[in-house]
Amino acid sequence: MYVLRRLLTAIPTLFAVSLLAFWFVYMIPGDPAAKLAGNMATNDEIAAIRDHLGLDKPLIVRYGLFLKGVVDPAIATSYRTSRPVVQEISERLPNTLIVAIGGLAIGILFGIVTGVICALRQGGWFDAAVTALTLAGISMPIYWLGLLCIWLFAVTLRWLPAAGAATPAHFVLPILVVATRPAALFSRLVTANLLEVMGKDYLDTARSKGLSETHVIVRHALRNSLVAAVSVAGIQFGGMIGGSVVTETVFGIPGIGRLLVDAVTGSDYPVIQYCVLMFATIFIVVNLATDLIGQWLDPRTRSHAAA
Amino acid sequence: MTRLLSPARRMMLLAASFMLVTGLPYAAQAAPEGSIKIAVGADTTTFHPHVNSLPVGNAVDMLVFEQLFRMGADNKVVPELAKTWNWSEDGMTFTVTFETGHVFSNGDPLDAEDIAASFNQLLDPKSGSIYAGLYASLGKAEAKGADTVVFHLTEKNGHILMLLANSAAGIIDVKANTAMGAEYGRKPVGSGPYMIDQFIGGERFSLVPNPKYSGKLSAKLKKIEFMTVPEDGARMALIETGEADIVDRVPAESIGEINDTGTAKVILPDSMFSISMELLNSGPLADPRVREALNISIDRDGMIKGILGGLATPSVGMVGPGTQDELRATFPPKPFDTAKAKQLLADAGYGPDKKLSLVVTCPNGRYIKDSQVCQALAAQWQAIGIDAKPQVLDLSNWAANSRLPLDQRKDNMTMVGRATAGIDFTLYRLFKTGVSTNISGFSDPTVDKLLAEGRATSDVAEQKKIYGEIQKTIWDKNPYVFLWYQKQALGVSDKVHGFAIRPDETMIFDNVTVSSN
Repeated sequence: MYVLRRLLTAIPTLFAVSLLAFWFVYMIPGDPAAKLAGNMATNDEIAAIRDHLGLDKPLIVRYGLFLKGVVDPAIATSYRTSRPVVQEISERLPNTLIVAIGGLAIGILFGIVTGVICALRQGGWFDAAVTALTLAGISMPIYWLGLLCIWLFAVTLRWLPAAGAATPAHFVLPILVVATRPAALFSRLVTANLLEVMGKDYLDTARSKGLSETHVIVRHALRNSLVAAVSVAGIQFGGMIGGSVVTETVFGIPGIGRLLVDAVTGSDYPVIQYCVLMFATIFIVVNLATDLIGQWLDPRTRSHAAA
Repeated sequence: MTRLLSPARRMMLLAASFMLVTGLPYAAQAAPEGSIKIAVGADTTTFHPHVNSLPVGNAVDMLVFEQLFRMGADNKVVPELAKTWNWSEDGMTFTVTFETGHVFSNGDPLDAEDIAASFNQLLDPKSGSIYAGLYASLGKAEAKGADTVVFHLTEKNGHILMLLANSAAGIIDVKANTAMGAEYGRKPVGSGPYMIDQFIGGERFSLVPNPKYSGKLSAKLKKIEFMTVPEDGARMALIETGEADIVDRVPAESIGEINDTGTAKVILPDSMFSISMELLNSGPLADPRVREALNISIDRDGMIKGILGGLATPSVGMVGPGTQDELRATFPPKPFDTAKAKQLLADAGYGPDKKLSLVVTCPNGRYIKDSQVCQALAAQWQAIGIDAKPQVLDLSNWAANSRLPLDQRKDNMTMVGRATAGIDFTLYRLFKTGVSTNISGFSDPTVDKLLAEGRATSDVAEQKKIYGEIQKTIWDKNPYVFLWYQKQALGVSDKVHGFAIRPDETMIFDNVTVSSN
């Protein structure tokens, strides 16, 4: 019931997003027909292209067509390619998801492992090294880090390709680069949470049962620490999808971010609008998923959510 | 005495003669060999010649489609399928006969009906063609017999060969286009030497030889692969590591680095991209003395060296190199003379007590270092006492500003780069009184009359005289602040031979071969 209720509340949110996406794009200065026609086109030529694209229809009609396009791909077509936007998106989305999910997975793994070790070896050299690395990871811009990695791993060492998405090797650098921020955040978060709960009575109870320290941490302390980490992961995933614009441009990956940038540059309104709508849908789904995982990890929140 | 040959000998002789006539030219053409990878900065969305406007798309269109005429590496019009052509006496009909026997890559024959249908689609604004206006003077195409196409013109136009040689005039398979819809733009069906093998939007596309091609420009490479890499650093890394054989848009700061690799060199061919500050020839800039003062008070050489990293040459005429060089006129560069500029301003009534205020608009990211150029221009005009305010706009606002009616413009000039293949098209649209693309408001009755005459004549000597006069008037009247022609910069691997690029930035692969090292 809870899941159903959350899904139903998403409908008005998506409707509001559709309205905002449509109107915001409408307010972008510039004329898509003029962009397509080029800077030597006369007003009459631009008017003919505007007519062909349906840009001379009243706004309310165009909004109606935009909503209809959500269920009818034949209506929702790109101005630049005339292909259905759903086709454009479906070809690009997997690349974006590979980088985002891969980056998040590696970030979480690295963050949890280093976070646990840092909590156990507080003040040691490993803790100091991870602290330095995580600070760098949090503060380094992805764009700069990406170029640095291309210079080191592609140009100097020649271990990995510099750009593209033709082989799995092309995804290694982008995934590692986008993993830095979540890795740094998770590491700090897990360490802080573990240190906070390490002295709690329920852990002493677990220890008194004869369980090993590793067992105590992994089975009891870490599980509670992960509740906060899961909501951070949701936000990070959303950020990665949004930040795909930068990563995909640096590494020449044909993903949703690049599609969106090109659409904005080319005033390809339908692509911009449906991409925004898709991003909103992903955010809603990810939010719901993180809530559900959080409840699974912390049973205390279940009754609260059900109330 | 005539010696009779036996039927068998006669057959053998006939076969040998046939082989000599038909077989040898084909035997002389080497089989496709090797492959090449090109990394480009711009993302290609379509190869449909009626809607494609990118130089990368033009390069592909030239390989995938045949045309009646085409433009070679030297930007000169040469016949491709066309065998003979002529205008009617009244100049309102243009007839082309062409070589038959060609087929599209899907096996469909290419006949007169196909050529006419292809042009009629190009000319139909309802088809979404972005070139319908440019080609409007072609009127309507009609198939006559198997090997003739007749264009019923809407006006006399002596520049038709230029239009037919433009890659937008590539002959598409209209039937395949109708069946494939938008997908035709990604995997077009043409009769050229290559066909699209793979298209991964935003990442790469590749071409392979078209086995059904029967023309003279047969494929020399087994594969031509394009990669789209918008980030300059990543694209340059590809040529440095040998992952790409050619990269375009090399930034000035990377030229030395690529030359130092020992495996690739940067070439700097001319571009026809002519960059100017297009003035509003009204208000304070209606005074020709002020326009001249603006033109002679900037240090073009210094700006090219200091800001553009050498990737330009100072303007010597409105149209850039390669814009129909047979009709292009050049003049001595505008001098850098601040003393004379100050005097001209004083003569026009401007000085410390009455400062000339100007708003100088530039785009950001459209041309090489455009926003920096804006600041530098304003600074140089400030140095001669003008209150010049630079206004850098994002691309959308800059484009929208340029399209405003003249009486609604709040600035006095805007930076625009013009690069078109035809001199008639360029000059007519920019300087004919009242044409909506004439954003400077330039108006000169003599130029208007000459533009009409230049369009109506097909005599090249006459055209040269007319367009020479038009270009001289424009150069002398300073409707723009003429800045420079951009240079192209491409990194090319030492393995690549025979690569050429036209001034309109279209890469030519007609004679490209690759060696193993």
